[in-house]
Amino acid sequence: MDGGALHEEFIARDELGMSGPYVEPRSETERRLAALWAQHLAVAPVGVEDDFFELGGDSLLAAEVQVAIDTEFGVEIEAAAVFLAPTVAALAEAVRRAPDTAGADG
Amino acid sequence: MTVDLADPALYARGDPHAVWRALRRADPVHWQPGTGGPGFWSVVRYEDVQRVLSDHTRFTSERGTLLNLLGRGDPAGGRQLAVTDPPRHDRMRAPLHRALKPRSVQAHTGVIRDGIRALLPGRDRPEFDLAAVCGLLPLTVLGPLLSLPEADRPHLVRLALMSAAEEDPAVQLPQGPAATLHRAHRELFAYFADLVRERRRRPRGDLVDVLLAMEVDGVRLTPGEVLSNCYSLLLGAGVTLAHVPTAAVAELSRDGGYEAWAADPGLLAGGVEEALRWASPAGHFMRHARHDTVLAGVPVAAGDAVVAWLGAANRDPAVFAGPDVFDPARSGNRHLAFGAGPHYCVGAGIARVTLRLFFAELFARYASLRLAGEPVRARSTFLSGYLQMPVRAGFRGRGKEQR
Ligand code: HEM
Repeated sequence: MDGGALHEEFIARDELGMSGPYVEPRSETERRLAALWAQHLAVAPVGVEDDFFELGGDSLLAAEVQVAIDTEFGVEIEAAAVFLAPTVAALAEAVRRAPDTAGADG
Repeated sequence: MTVDLADPALYARGDPHAVWRALRRADPVHWQPGTGGPGFWSVVRYEDVQRVLSDHTRFTSERGTLLNLLGRGDPAGGRQLAVTDPPRHDRMRAPLHRALKPRSVQAHTGVIRDGIRALLPGRDRPEFDLAAVCGLLPLTVLGPLLSLPEADRPHLVRLALMSAAEEDPAVQLPQGPAATLHRAHRELFAYFADLVRERRRRPRGDLVDVLLAMEVDGVRLTPGEVLSNCYSLLLGAGVTLAHVPTAAVAELSRDGGYEAWAADPGLLAGGVEEALRWASPAGHFMRHARHDTVLAGVPVAAGDAVVAWLGAANRDPAVFAGPDVFDPARSGNRHLAFGAGPHYCVGAGIARVTLRLFFAELFARYASLRLAGEPVRARSTFLSGYLQMPVRAGFRGRGKEQR
């Protein structure tokens, strides 16, 4: 992993002028995914309906996130879920659907 | 002189060569003010284009090299070969360059030739869209290089087109050009993410494996860097190769030039170079000044964007005698269609091999090619070429066709 992707200084979500309201994580999977995004994007907090690209992500970072999710949850998440219209809520769904690679729970 | 070089309509319906000709004479380092964003410099003379593309000490590639990124930066800067400056650039380039050397590429020529033969229509279809036929040419090359399944290729061609000509009505989504770019970009990344995952399981010895094994200063590329370079390879070939044959045929079908070139096998390689000069499929590449500098006597401020128009350089009368004549026998043709300097197209060798195979097949199969309708040029500042070109083919005698 690229160590540079993990940031010390976070930007407050409020400063980004997001199009939707902040929605809190509702499950353990959503909480872990939101934390993982927050680390990669250096934005906090991450709402479960927030769009990855609207939060400042780009396709390269999405690729790092995909691999981080696979590692964190022991799954192989669909690429489409990560790159096309990604939200934490949708990814949590995709993690649930994804085939296990290491027998970890979601 | 008021011209809008950032207007894609100029390249679809206007006469960019007339505009460039006038600029070369009167205003060769031309400033275009921004409308709501930053402006940019344009260079249109051969010497200046070559200098801007080559001199990475004065002009960086890391803030994006296409006009549609002006003022936005490029997240791939420093991470994807084409938008990384030396010295890191050179270390990323070496393994790709090795994999694309003529000797390495030789293994693929049979497959590429078969692909070309399958693309070109036979006697049962004398009228066809040459642009559509050529549209699949890049994938006959990238297919074997990246081990892309046959069934995926038309979709990839379309996504590449959306990424390079997002303003064109043939590919633009209803949500507009920016949404088109994003969509194409993300779909391609998703596609390559799946491909890379598959390749990690089962290496195929292709360019994806080269990227996966690449180490720069002892560090592997990150997953994002691997995908970004796959994307760049697809675009590098995907939006350029197709436009060389169509540009040549559009010009040559008017006056018997096609038959003359086809009749002389000794002109194959030189004619391909002329077709590259003529087509200049990559219309421009952009750089940003690293610091205050002077370009052909004109002061350029640190951070300013400079756009090098390759199509203009390739018609510069200071370098090419009779620049507006297509001459397959032209000698000393030092065109800039593949760029210049450290970023000189890493796929140039395989592009040349492919184009020679393509023209050889074209000439072997068709005694003549005539336009059978109005060709349609792409609406794009970058992609210079035709997206539709109805032609009528005259076939050679049976014996020759069946070779
Ligand atoms: C007629 C066909 C082609 C044309 C006209 C063309 C044109 C160019 C030009 C002008 C550049 C320089 C960009 C710059 O200076 O910023 C370039 C770079 C590049 N091209 Fe091509 N290209 C062609 C085919 C290909 C093919 C077949 C491939 C892949 C196999 C490819 C992959 C690349 C890559 C990866 C770069 C970046 C090289 C670097 O930064 O070191 N191109 N191409």
